[in-house]
Amino acid sequence: MTLAEPWRLLALLVVPVLWWLSLPSRPQTAVLTPHLQQWQLALAALRRRPPRWSRWRFLLLALAAAFAALAFAGPTVPGEPGPSRLVVVLDASASMAARGPDGRTAWARATDALRTTLPTVPADVEVTLLRAGGPLLRRHGASARALHDLGDPAGELDADLATLAADAGRQPGAAVWTLTDGQGGRPLPTAGARTVLRAAGSNAAVLAVRLVDRWPLPALDLEVDVAAFVDAPGIAALRVSGAIAAPSERAVELAPSAVRTEVFALERLAAGGELGVRIELPGDVLAGDDVWRAELPPLPAPRIAVLADAEAGPFAAVAAEALAAEVGGSVVAAAGDQPVGVVLVEGGAIDLAPGAARAVAFGARMRGAAEATAWPMPVVADWDRQGALTRGLDLSELRLQRAWRGVLPAGEPFLWADDAGVRTPLAVVVAGTGGIASVHFAFRLQDGNLPLLAAFPQLLRRAFVRSYGEGAAPRVRSEQPPAGERDLRVAALGDDVALPPFATPELDLAPWCVLLALAAVALRAFVR
Amino acid sequence: MAARPPSLPALPLPFPPAFRERLHALIGQRAGFRGAPDARQRARRSVLSQSGTFVGHRPYEHGDDLRRIDWSAYARTGQLYVKQLEQEQRRTAALLLDLTASLHAGEPPRRVPLLRGAAVVGGFALAQLDGLTVLAPGAGALAERTFTGVAAVPELLAHLAALPVVAAGVGDAVGLLLQRGLPGRVHWFSDFAVPSACERPLHALRRRGAVVTGWLPELPTDRAPQPSGYLRVTDPETGEELTLPVDEAFVAELRRQLALLAARQDRLFAQAGARLVRWRAPALDDHSAAAFAVFAARCEP
Repeated sequence: MTLAEPWRLLALLVVPVLWWLSLPSRPQTAVLTPHLQQWQLALAALRRRPPRWSRWRFLLLALAAAFAALAFAGPTVPGEPGPSRLVVVLDASASMAARGPDGRTAWARATDALRTTLPTVPADVEVTLLRAGGPLLRRHGASARALHDLGDPAGELDADLATLAADAGRQPGAAVWTLTDGQGGRPLPTAGARTVLRAAGSNAAVLAVRLVDRWPLPALDLEVDVAAFVDAPGIAALRVSGAIAAPSERAVELAPSAVRTEVFALERLAAGGELGVRIELPGDVLAGDDVWRAELPPLPAPRIAVLADAEAGPFAAVAAEALAAEVGGSVVAAAGDQPVGVVLVEGGAIDLAPGAARAVAFGARMRGAAEATAWPMPVVADWDRQGALTRGLDLSELRLQRAWRGVLPAGEPFLWADDAGVRTPLAVVVAGTGGIASVHFAFRLQDGNLPLLAAFPQLLRRAFVRSYGEGAAPRVRSEQPPAGERDLRVAALGDDVALPPFATPELDLAPWCVLLALAAVALRAFVR
Repeated sequence: MAARPPSLPALPLPFPPAFRERLHALIGQRAGFRGAPDARQRARRSVLSQSGTFVGHRPYEHGDDLRRIDWSAYARTGQLYVKQLEQEQRRTAALLLDLTASLHAGEPPRRVPLLRGAAVVGGFALAQLDGLTVLAPGAGALAERTFTGVAAVPELLAHLAALPVVAAGVGDAVGLLLQRGLPGRVHWFSDFAVPSACERPLHALRRRGAVVTGWLPELPTDRAPQPSGYLRVTDPETGEELTLPVDEAFVAELRRQLALLAARQDRLFAQAGARLVRWRAPALDDHSAAAFAVFAARCEP
């Protein structure tokens, strides 16, 4: 036991004073009598007690004073030296999902080790948990001890665990505990404690899937890159299944660490659904990279309406017929009470909020907008070479006899004309809510040679697809592990290092001394 | 832990000349009243001889002198009886003195009137009887002393004045008394502050047929104590102390307890077939005839 302020023990000098004060006063008159027994009997008959000095009462009072003085001096019991903080570095990279010989993943074993060990760490030790790999998470205190929201192992280990552990270990009073499978080709941390969760073995992976979608057509091409990280060549089964007309399966011979590309020409189901690619290799320890999944939207069967003014030619109707035939839709009359999938507008004025409905408008102005003015002989200057609408199309032969100024709403242009040296949009896309978009051209089909261009059908179909927005795009559901997390053939070298004993806190004895002093005072009330 | 005996107050001279004159006067009056015995004849008798007129039997009790068993009565009845002799024929007396420190209490100290009373009774015995034995338990070489003849009165006074303060009780002295044989009469001078301690000696003396007279000099505070205030009361014999505040209620209760003590003392002597003579202790310088009238009236040496 040590005292924070030993000089305060001088307060013990109050004990002799208490002793002096506790003495009963000495009577001034002394009487000798042979009848002392009668005096005592008289006292007893009157139920009186003579004032006397009680040794026990004084001892309890002195004890209380001594304990109070001791508490005043700040007595403490020094704790055991050791770290007072624990930084847990948890490898949560994708390779931690690999199964070990016992069938359990390294991640499960790591979290089990944490759940077993953290409750044994003294409560006064601050615990910080760093989840390295994938999104970096940091938990502190009770959240770290409870392992809140650790998620699943995913992503690449973008942090060097050795450096991370060394940095954390350099903090004063901190102990580091790294839990890793040692994969990734990096050296194991040497600072602090270490638990190596070995899960080495063969692994086959779907590295990448390239999808050529011809929506709204049912044709669908897949290019699947697969690889096997094995010690010897092997045969893997590659299956494509889900929202396709005929599931496909191939036996693929894979050389160690060599990438192989398999091409599948598929026909998707009109109802859409999940499309899955799976590779199966005997002895595969990492299942997370064996599957690729995507959600295919249903194929449209739209009702296509045509709105054309009196001066419009037959191009809009012909284009609608061609589009309907291609996408499996139908051309309907533009009646007000019939819902339509997409509207082709040729000239005139329409009650259509840009971006609010799927529409492809040619030279049509918005009702209520300013009067359009003719723009004779506009020269096409350029088009968007990277955009989804015009990428890969050749519009250099597009010639326009007339266009209209003021018919285009505010939107994203993808076709421009040279207007006296100024790039002026000739066509824009207006994106609305829910992925719906409308495509607007500043000229009518009959005012140029666009319907005659070879790129027109594809431009029209792309405009149709664009009007469906994100609803037409497949959504990939799975995320493939990074390249560095796939090769699990080599087990990490290195032994586990145990945690050091933690510091025990300094025990403050002052409250106990105060308690004992109060107990002595309370006990004194019962002593006569 | 035993209490330390307190220092005792110094006592005045017990037998000043005025007292000695009074004592001689008292002895002279007593001798004239009863008639002078033949001193020489008495001197020839053994001081502690057993003699007297047979007055009856009583059943034998454990501790009785075997020489006193009446074997003829045993032959007749098969029961053991001892012979009882007439006490008046005994010609000696004994003074049994309490010399404990408790006698130093009081104003005047009780020891002074006690010694003076013993001197008067002893003087009477020397004048009228064949001998006098003074027993002072615990006094060492002075524990037992025999005096003969009235001429030994100065010697008796000197002996009494020389007696120390002792801590012994009367049990040993009574045992010695019984072993040597009974004197005619036993005069026991004490404050009898603890009656229960006197019970066994009294009954032992009674069983042997002794005639015991208790002499208790009474002080004013024995009946009507007047303490007040915050006092420390000490028993001079044991050194035990008691510190207490004294009020009227306590004084009343103390008087009641002292009255109960006096009643116990009286009952003790009555049950033992003995007399307890209380006399009011006179002032130290009071040597008048009235101060000692109680001895002339009630002393039967």
